[in-house]
Amino acid sequence: MTGKPKVAICWLGGCGGCDEAVVDLNEVLLTVADAVDIVLWPIALDFKYDHVKAMADGEITLSIINGNVRNSEQEEVAKLLRKKSQIVLAFGACACFGGTPGMANFRSKEDIFNWVYKDAPTVNNPNGVFPQPVSNVDKKELTLPAFHESVKSLNQVIDVDYYLPGCPPPTDLIAHAVTATLENKLPMKGSSLAPHKALCDSCPRNSTKPQKIKLTEIKRIHEIEAKPDICFLAQGVLCMGIATRDGCGHNCIDINLPCRGCFGPVEGVRDAGIKMISTLAAIIDAETDKDIEKITEQIIDMAGYNFRFSLPSSMFGSLKNPE
Amino acid sequence: MNKPKIVCFSCKFSWSYLADESKLAAEISNWIPIICAGKIDAEYLVDAFLHGADGVLILGCPEGDCHYQDGNIETKKRLALLRQALAVYNIEPERIRLVLARDPEGKDIPGHIEEMAKAIGQLGKIKTAKA
Ligand code: SF4
Ligand code: SF4
Repeated sequence: MTGKPKVAICWLGGCGGCDEAVVDLNEVLLTVADAVDIVLWPIALDFKYDHVKAMADGEITLSIINGNVRNSEQEEVAKLLRKKSQIVLAFGACACFGGTPGMANFRSKEDIFNWVYKDAPTVNNPNGVFPQPVSNVDKKELTLPAFHESVKSLNQVIDVDYYLPGCPPPTDLIAHAVTATLENKLPMKGSSLAPHKALCDSCPRNSTKPQKIKLTEIKRIHEIEAKPDICFLAQGVLCMGIATRDGCGHNCIDINLPCRGCFGPVEGVRDAGIKMISTLAAIIDAETDKDIEKITEQIIDMAGYNFRFSLPSSMFGSLKNPE
Repeated sequence: MNKPKIVCFSCKFSWSYLADESKLAAEISNWIPIICAGKIDAEYLVDAFLHGADGVLILGCPEGDCHYQDGNIETKKRLALLRQALAVYNIEPERIRLVLARDPEGKDIPGHIEEMAKAIGQLGKIKTAKA
């Protein structure tokens, strides 16, 4: 046993990209690994949950948890880490807001099962076998994690101390979050460890954003040849940068794609997707019902666009409450 | 269904500015007089539905008559976008109604609410929302 602070890194309902982002710390990771004892990191190291269960409550200094909570196993691991940790950091868009898998909340659990195990054209399931939490095979009981009614962000399941958004979070903010924890320099509980302003603030295209934007036509990114240095909104392409927290280093913008909102709402805003609706209305240049309808119809799948990363934690997402 | 719950926002520049507001407020439940229909953020409407509203009625100034130039048009656009987003949950567009007119004494407000409640009664409860 060393006297070093203990750190756990864990993966719930996510794609693995967040773990990859930790690996991308490269040499910084070696310095961190020197300064702490990693006690759990399923994707990289062979510790078992039983090791964590055997620890005293609060023994882990920091648990970095990525991914959302969709099944009973993820819920159990989240609760275990909460119990054993002094600080829980929700890491990445899925843990912070539900993430892209959270769009599953547009559908019911029943719809999802029917499609995946029965109706999708590539499915061949003549006996109608659906996964069950408990099944008996050769007199043995087999169990699977139970699939919950909806996707939840981490703070809908356990108390979360800090948030680091992004899909995935960028290495500079990860290094900053870990150092701030080790040096005891964390801000108020509940804070996002990322800038407070909107992405537009640091966007290299900001100087080309017109003082007053007037959208008369909305185009999707693949429908135009987007100019590489002009604000997307000025080109009639929806960009969530106006309603999204800064900090990613304008990744998408730099590869000529508009922001899709993975950093979530800016400081003080409850729901980025709804704010985007209000903001968008203000920049649409139409007055008559007919003109308004014409331009509104050009937005394909507005709910999907505005809540791509945040549906489970959004006010809008609470309109549907299957549980 | 029981009588539908309608939340009504009305702009004070065209609606009920000559009325005894507290008397009228005692008559109308869930009535919120505001300054400018343009003040109604999309968030207020979603919040109303989350608090159990079956419909939201917004009473604004006649077109061309907004005290702040175009607050009523801004709201019209906002509602069009919000209605489109709400469609994903099968929340019908009729559950949000905008009336642009003038009624200094506010005597028509209960009638507007009544009329909307009747129409919403036909739709029933929102199928997916929290009660
Ligand atoms: S709207 Fe998008 S492209 Fe325009 S300045 Fe903001 S982040 Fe940059
Ligand atoms: S530009 Fe937007 S979607 Fe892309 S990484 Fe940054 S915050 Fe995320």
